[in-house]
Amino acid sequence: MRETRLWSLHILVIPIILVLLGAHFALMHYAPIFYALSVEKAREFSTMIARGKNIGQFVVYILLLAAGLYHGLYGTRGILRELPWSPALAKLIDLGILIFGIAIFALGVYVTWWTFNFELGG
Amino acid sequence: MLVAKTITFRIRRFDPETDSAPHWDSYAVNVFEGMTVLEALHQIKAEQEPSLAWRSSCRMGVCGSCGMFVNQFPQLACQTQVLHLEADIVSVEPLPNYPNVKDLVPDLQPLVEKHAEVKPYIIHPDLKEMREPSGEFLQTPAEREAFSQFTYCIKCGVCLAACPTAATDPAFLGPQALTQAYRYSADNRDSGVHSRRDSVGAFHGAYQCHMAGACSHACPKGVDPALAIQLLKRALVLDNFGFGKKESQSAKVAPLADVVKELEEFAPPPRTAE
Repeated sequence: MRETRLWSLHILVIPIILVLLGAHFALMHYAPIFYALSVEKAREFSTMIARGKNIGQFVVYILLLAAGLYHGLYGTRGILRELPWSPALAKLIDLGILIFGIAIFALGVYVTWWTFNFELGG
Repeated sequence: MLVAKTITFRIRRFDPETDSAPHWDSYAVNVFEGMTVLEALHQIKAEQEPSLAWRSSCRMGVCGSCGMFVNQFPQLACQTQVLHLEADIVSVEPLPNYPNVKDLVPDLQPLVEKHAEVKPYIIHPDLKEMREPSGEFLQTPAEREAFSQFTYCIKCGVCLAACPTAATDPAFLGPQALTQAYRYSADNRDSGVHSRRDSVGAFHGAYQCHMAGACSHACPKGVDPALAIQLLKRALVLDNFGFGKKESQSAKVAPLADVVKELEEFAPPPRTAE
């Protein structure tokens, strides 16, 4: 059943988000500790770009983007669909959320990919 | 009986034949200790307002007819003592989340329809045995305990009135129907989760429950529908991924002779004349 699969996936991504959020904190907010850098050095543009070119970070952010978007948009759909829409409008909401999600995911992938390929002074 | 207090009852009135919208009327009632909201309504009807309408029957919390919105909380009028409300003004309205027939009478048709939709009966793979039983479906105390509390539902509809999701989503099956879906799905004689999933596994089914818990708080029989719905979600997910209860796991028939023999073994020894 479609709804069972959608709901199961929304529950399944919760631990994935938690793990990836941990990775995000380690890579971004605790970068000085994680990479053993001074706070000033960790904040430098060149350091951030260097981090962005790390394949591990690239994968973490693509996965976090996918998992977070799915979980968030599934919840948004649940809230919106709770209102008494006509079946046609309910389908339109589903479609709108799907298109929005794909668009935001594509944008996120593009930005992450752009950072991954950015050349300093290039 | 000693009068303990004079309480004002604010009752929401509506007669579809004469009123275009509901309005409120107030009645002063001399309340005695132990007097229920239902008894107060009877007194108002007998002494002040003969046209006041509500639905009730057993007066003892068994039939589930007198669900009302008393002081902004859905409950059975026959189980609610006026003085326990600790208020000088008691408001009484028909149950929310239902159409209003007249005064305090809700139209429980949505409840009945949603209940029927979840196939609230045992679905056993052996149809022949269901129709022409040759013996007993045995059930251990532990197997009974798995769904025991959910059998106490009296179909009063109070849980659906308390449900915030049902307030915004009229198509939501609601706690009563979903609890009954679980009650039967958890029964070891039943293998019907799969055939119930079209209704309970749809968008307006179990997954729409946000677990506010208001249903469990309001249930006058102590049933925990919020728990039943979460267990139902688990059963649906397991069924969907092929880990659910198999038809072969449904209760087997024990020949009547075996049942009698077992009963005899557990029966107390016959009394002997002294």
